[in-house]
Amino acid sequence: MLAGQAPPGAAGCGRLLAAALRPLLCGLSPCWVAGRQCRGLRVAEAATEEAQVVQREHRGGVPVRRYIACPRLARTVQQCLQRGAGPQPLLLEFAPGPGILTQTLLNAGIRVVALESNLAYLPNLQSLENSLDGQLKVIYGDFCRLDPLVSGTLKPPAVCSEKLFETMGVAAVPWKADVPLRIFGIMPHTLERNRLWRLLFGLYECNSIYRYGRVELNLFISEKEYMVLRAKPGEVWAYQALSVLAQIGCEIELLHKEPWSSFATDLKNGSLAIPKSKWLPNDHLCLVRLTPQQNLFTGGLKPTNATTFIFMVKQCLAKPTSRLSARLNSWSLDNGGKLLKALEIPENAVMRDLYPEDYRRLFEALQNSSMFTETWFYDEVLETVRTINL
Amino acid sequence: MALLRLRAALRGPGGLRGPGVPWSVLRSYSSASTKEKANRNSTCERTELLEVLKARAKQLQSSDAPEVTVNKVELAPLGNDKHQNPLQKAMASGPTQEQPVPRAGWCPDRPHSWVEMLHKETCIQQLKLERKLSMAASQLDLGSQAKAEAKPKAKIKAKAEAKAKAKTEAKAKAKAEAKPKAKAEAKPKAKATAKAKAEAKATAKAKAEAKAEAQIKAKGKPKAKPMKSLKTSKVPKVKAATAWSQSSTSPHSLYSHSKPRVVAVKEGVKLERPRRALKDKDSSQHKETIQSTLECFLFLQQPEQAERILMLCHRSPVKQKLLDVSAYNIVMRCWARKGCLQHIDQLFSVLESVGLRPSLDSYAAALQCMGRNQSSPEAIWRYLEQLKSDGFHVDELFQKCLFEEDEKEKILRAIRTVLPDYQLPPPPKPQTCKSALLQDFYSKEKVVSYPKLDFSVEELQERFQQQLEMELNNTITIESVEAAKPPTPQAVKARELLGTLRSQWHDAVLQALQKSKHSMVKARALSKYNMLYPYLCLLPDEEYVGIMLQVLNTLSPQGESLAVLARELSNKVYSRYVTHRKLRSHQLEKLQGVYEDYIHLLAKDSQPDQYLPREYWEKLVAEAGLGSSLTLKDCSWPYAVLMRLGMHMLELLVKAVTVPRNLLNPRLESKSIPVLYHIYSYQNMWQVGLIKPHPIFSQIVTDAAETTLTFHSSAMPMLCPPVPWTSPHFGAFVVNDTKLMRFVDGDVQHQLLLEQCPPVNLHPVLDALTQLGNCAWKINQPVLDIIISIFNDKGNEQLDIPPPLSEAPKPPTAPGHSSTWSKSLKRELLLCKKKAAEMHSLRMDALYKLSIANYVRDKVFWFPHNMDFRGRTYPCPPYFNHLGNDVTRAILLFAEGRPLGPRGLDWLKIHLINLTGLKKKNALQERLEYANEIMEEILDSADHPITGRKWWMNTDEPWQALACCMEIAKASRSPDPAAYISHFPVHQDGSCNGLQHYAALGRDLIGALSVNLMPCSVPQDVYSAVAQQVEEFRKKDAERGVKIAQVLQGFISRKVVKQTVMTVVYGVTRYGGRLQIEKRLKEIDDFPEEYLWEASHYLVRQVFNSIKEMFSATRDIQHWLTESAKLISQSGRTVEWVTPLGLPIVQPYYRFKSTVLNCGMQNLSVRTPSSSQKPDTVKQKNAFPPNFIHSLDSTHMMLTALHCFRQGLTFVSVHDCYWTHALTVDIMNQICRQQFVALHSEKILQDLSEFMLEKYCSPNTETIAAWQKKLMEQLSNVPRTGEFNLKQVMDSTYFFS
Repeated sequence: MLAGQAPPGAAGCGRLLAAALRPLLCGLSPCWVAGRQCRGLRVAEAATEEAQVVQREHRGGVPVRRYIACPRLARTVQQCLQRGAGPQPLLLEFAPGPGILTQTLLNAGIRVVALESNLAYLPNLQSLENSLDGQLKVIYGDFCRLDPLVSGTLKPPAVCSEKLFETMGVAAVPWKADVPLRIFGIMPHTLERNRLWRLLFGLYECNSIYRYGRVELNLFISEKEYMVLRAKPGEVWAYQALSVLAQIGCEIELLHKEPWSSFATDLKNGSLAIPKSKWLPNDHLCLVRLTPQQNLFTGGLKPTNATTFIFMVKQCLAKPTSRLSARLNSWSLDNGGKLLKALEIPENAVMRDLYPEDYRRLFEALQNSSMFTETWFYDEVLETVRTINL
Repeated sequence: MALLRLRAALRGPGGLRGPGVPWSVLRSYSSASTKEKANRNSTCERTELLEVLKARAKQLQSSDAPEVTVNKVELAPLGNDKHQNPLQKAMASGPTQEQPVPRAGWCPDRPHSWVEMLHKETCIQQLKLERKLSMAASQLDLGSQAKAEAKPKAKIKAKAEAKAKAKTEAKAKAKAEAKPKAKAEAKPKAKATAKAKAEAKATAKAKAEAKAEAQIKAKGKPKAKPMKSLKTSKVPKVKAATAWSQSSTSPHSLYSHSKPRVVAVKEGVKLERPRRALKDKDSSQHKETIQSTLECFLFLQQPEQAERILMLCHRSPVKQKLLDVSAYNIVMRCWARKGCLQHIDQLFSVLESVGLRPSLDSYAAALQCMGRNQSSPEAIWRYLEQLKSDGFHVDELFQKCLFEEDEKEKILRAIRTVLPDYQLPPPPKPQTCKSALLQDFYSKEKVVSYPKLDFSVEELQERFQQQLEMELNNTITIESVEAAKPPTPQAVKARELLGTLRSQWHDAVLQALQKSKHSMVKARALSKYNMLYPYLCLLPDEEYVGIMLQVLNTLSPQGESLAVLARELSNKVYSRYVTHRKLRSHQLEKLQGVYEDYIHLLAKDSQPDQYLPREYWEKLVAEAGLGSSLTLKDCSWPYAVLMRLGMHMLELLVKAVTVPRNLLNPRLESKSIPVLYHIYSYQNMWQVGLIKPHPIFSQIVTDAAETTLTFHSSAMPMLCPPVPWTSPHFGAFVVNDTKLMRFVDGDVQHQLLLEQCPPVNLHPVLDALTQLGNCAWKINQPVLDIIISIFNDKGNEQLDIPPPLSEAPKPPTAPGHSSTWSKSLKRELLLCKKKAAEMHSLRMDALYKLSIANYVRDKVFWFPHNMDFRGRTYPCPPYFNHLGNDVTRAILLFAEGRPLGPRGLDWLKIHLINLTGLKKKNALQERLEYANEIMEEILDSADHPITGRKWWMNTDEPWQALACCMEIAKASRSPDPAAYISHFPVHQDGSCNGLQHYAALGRDLIGALSVNLMPCSVPQDVYSAVAQQVEEFRKKDAERGVKIAQVLQGFISRKVVKQTVMTVVYGVTRYGGRLQIEKRLKEIDDFPEEYLWEASHYLVRQVFNSIKEMFSATRDIQHWLTESAKLISQSGRTVEWVTPLGLPIVQPYYRFKSTVLNCGMQNLSVRTPSSSQKPDTVKQKNAFPPNFIHSLDSTHMMLTALHCFRQGLTFVSVHDCYWTHALTVDIMNQICRQQFVALHSEKILQDLSEFMLEKYCSPNTETIAAWQKKLMEQLSNVPRTGEFNLKQVMDSTYFFS
């Protein structure tokens, strides 16, 4: 089979694909038809419809979507996902589109739930679902509109996690337990940063998908965001509040890097729609695995006070060059010096040099000193955190 | 090799300090290096450099012992901390520098201070050289370069060391060598090597060379740029860091305050550009900063300080370029005041030495000085001779220079020492505007005397004194309307508490201010000189403290953005400074004299004069021989200075003002906590710094419910007639600085344009503004009383009286700790908070307005006017004015009363019906009849506004309707309504005024009909007409089987299209139009939702088509304007035009760059405009049509105003809504139509085309570029017009109604 013969690491087929994928989305791809006849054909048909749908929808300002349309890449991703020891729980693939990866995953024997928001792709996925014996479940919904904060009735494709998990048949497990669900998807690059923030908020508050336990995310995100997520103190431009929170919150593992050109987009002109980046070469998407830390809530940090922690970190790193002691003073904490001494943090330490762990220790110390409840701090947390968590 | 190993260790995963490593380890290391610490001199960069190199050597030696190395390397990420000593810094950043350039590690350390500079320089040099090399040997490819880079590192080190260890020699060189020289040296060498040697080697050598050079330069730099390193020192730092990031793959930072500019790694050319741009921007900013600082010293009368700063700049080769003659002149003036001719002589020779030519002001300073110290005639002769040989004339001194204090007299004295018979040049003859539109107006033959005010000279003089006193105090504290309520015991207690706290804060802030000033004085090291110091000396300390403490009184509990507060603070300081300056220069005394004569023109008991107010003022000034000494030299402060000063004061305030924590809860232990705290909030992804008051403080303020309000004096209406506008910066308030044209921060283009414009061209605009400002007002007391009673009760949202916070929705009381609340509960709480914040701001706004109105309730007052860049006029006082909402408009009456006359009562009734919003489609007669029909309701509303049937409450503009009801009641009950003296303003509105101008411009028949340019028995409604047209299109489409047209059947109404039609004039796009229509369609309940997008998309197209059909020429004109603006902007210039009244207009839309101001507490990202900025094409293009139309409607308004004035009418306007007495509505209507016809009879578009052709396409070069040709074609291709006969406007009743 074609996919099988491909050399490991789909990066090599990137350039080739850029050309090959355009016909795939607009009509028939010769290579694909040859490789996987009957299902391939179906996928291609759906893609034709999709191209038209996309044309219409794009005027409405729907973000660009990316698909895995290259069998080799699909295989690489499948291998990445299967890497790692332990049991292999159910996998939720969001926005599968033409379903090429879905097929690969199914072939590898993985149980998959496909969450698709585009009606045009649904029939195709559904017939795939019917042809299998429960290995695939297709749900109509948009992962990016999971548990929207706006009140009122949910209009599909917006989904609420409760219903989603019920449909999938995934029950909540304690935090310390094993991963109950794995999620794979390609993060749309519009509002990527906001989406990451939302996931982090969910993680810290044990909300949304994290109510069901330590859900593992396998996301294709841009290189830029990946750099931020794993940045260490001293990496001046990258080390931010997001880095601290992500590193405390989960284990971050880079599974794979893939050039943009390996992905197909739903743009009618077939362009790659690579977001402009002046900061780095930005020629890859990174497949990152975010596994929530098992010991996240073992110390003073609890889902109930986690927003305060997030708020504290954000305020601290708002001006990374300022001194921690100055910040503490401006928070009406005049015994900040003693606190820092106890934590073995130098008086003159600067925000950007504190390690994520330091922030955690600081928070726990502050929590014990009951400073948060006494001052205005709590009001602020409520106000500020809510407005960003949208 | 050792180095390579070192680097490997650094880059390895273990190189970074793991989360478990405690801080103590680090500290123990830093104490190990005490020896080096003792040696170092922290201020001396040279020593630092040596230390780095020593350290480097040490490192190299010690790298044999692996443990030590690893230990050191572990420090690397922390090496750049401020809290570690420079040695460590150097060690840490040393190795990182050597990382291979193309993306190796994840993110390198950020090297600090000069090390950074050094690296930046190196990078730049490298790239420069690389470019050179690639020119010489064109096949140089990047791969080999990268390889080459790794190897020669050790060599570079060795070389650099050698060079630095050449000790004093190198140092001396660095000092002596100017920057350009160093560069020049580097280049030829590089070229030579490139040619001679193999590629890889060449790179290495050149680089080594460059590095050494760069080091020397970096060393020299801090000395060469003392000015830059004042407070801006962070700016170059950021830059440097950027340069660094070019050589690494550091991801982009999202800190709003540190957005570095970025350049691709591979392109050397690009690398240089941002640097140059930075220099440009800096230079324009620095130039202004230097000037305004020198001005401060002039004001402080500290010539020594001024000269010190000047000389500092003068000696630096970079800074010297920033100095122009005016900077030297300021210092000369400084010395001249002291009478030190010697210094002036010196400065003259300094001027000569840098190749600058002395200007008139230089000679004025010299002569002034000589007049002061009574120099010998020889010396005076010498200067006079030089003046003449420079091509000036003595008379010009008195015609062109601006004088303060006794400067003029001294100069005259000096001149008369040698020329005893010298006579001052005669004042220039007054010129008259020659505009065809105003020929009648300015012709002296049929002059109608100026309408007199109902005041005697004495009364007006008294009022002037009151106004002057108020402005000299700068602020005024008034009782708020809430004062009527007696304070509760709790409030009394809270007020006492607040009083004691305030006096404590006063002392604390004063102390903090003095301390900070003291520390600034102490930092006498030139490089650390704080530019803010002179700005903190201008006023007595007490005044600064007062200004700072005012912030506490007005800060809302929700807090305020740091930048806004900083601006507010520094603007207050600035305006206070200007007041002091005016006092010091005796300008005020002179103005007072002129004003006292001037009011004779307006007072009822003096001779009628045939002058316009401006003419009369100019005449008086000329007679008094004051000439130019009434205007002060422009002394505005650059934006960066304003922000820094504000931030500094804010920081003092935040640090100094504290409150005991246990104030409200005695159980807590006592400790003082800051009243203000600094916090960040996030708007989208932007980070905004906020200053918020501590809840304890907010609570006390709420409890105290203080009933006084403090306003800046310019927020109050004037108590005497405004000073007439005579120039772009003279007029309106007596002391407060007012600009003729409002502008956004830092947009200087308008100001320049106005100054360049011949004064006579501005006369019509100045006269119109003076005229609008001269309208006297008074308060409608009965209405005000009703409003205040509702306001002090519970407010009424329906009547637009904001309720007090006590009426805010109560947040649900939730059990337990807030962290356990549910999501919906939290959301509800948040909504409550949001609502409360909105209510607070609405309430405060109303409180300000009503309190000001209440304060002037028994007075007659004036609103001085100025305008925006398009010529639209606005009253200067911001809160309370006739442009306000229904409530404020309802409490305003003309101070002047006129009898109603035969038709006055009818006009009042029609006006009332207009205010109700009923009977819009009916003829005037029908409206009048309707009013008569409901007379009973009207009288009931007037007599029992609150207790009666409340007919007035259900109208569009209830409060104005109520006021009108009362007026009608009074008039109709008076024995002879025609003789009833009415003060009531009656409004006449243009119907869709923008489209009226378009229709007239294009002479569109159908268009003209639908916007009432043509006489008609009933008013036409353009929105209904468009809706009809759209419906017609829809029907056709539906017949043809277009699905969406069929779906839309029965849904097209006036309401659906109204907003879009209205905004078409203002350049709404299809995108925006679709959103508007979608919103309307959503409001229709039974419209099928799935068709929303398609339907709105279809409809917006049809609306645009309909407008095109009806206003065929309008769309052409819009298109022509847009295209022209696009081409002009693309050619790199901004769109400028001149209104038919002669007002020059420039669109202030530029692509802005943001610079980061490091201001201690927080970095601020500010827009920094400069004249070299490129226009923002999109804005220039999209905004041109609406701006052009606005400039026309403002012209129409001004023409109407001026002609009304000639007819003795009272006239004011709210853009396209004109107000006058009921008696004179008919006359005003006639003038309004006449002027509209006159205006559009001008060849407006042709004139515009000609003006632009000359401005943008004048053939200054022989060859005409392609773009120029295209632009010429576009500009000369004026759209054709339709058949409409403009004269018909004269007979159209509903044109303005």
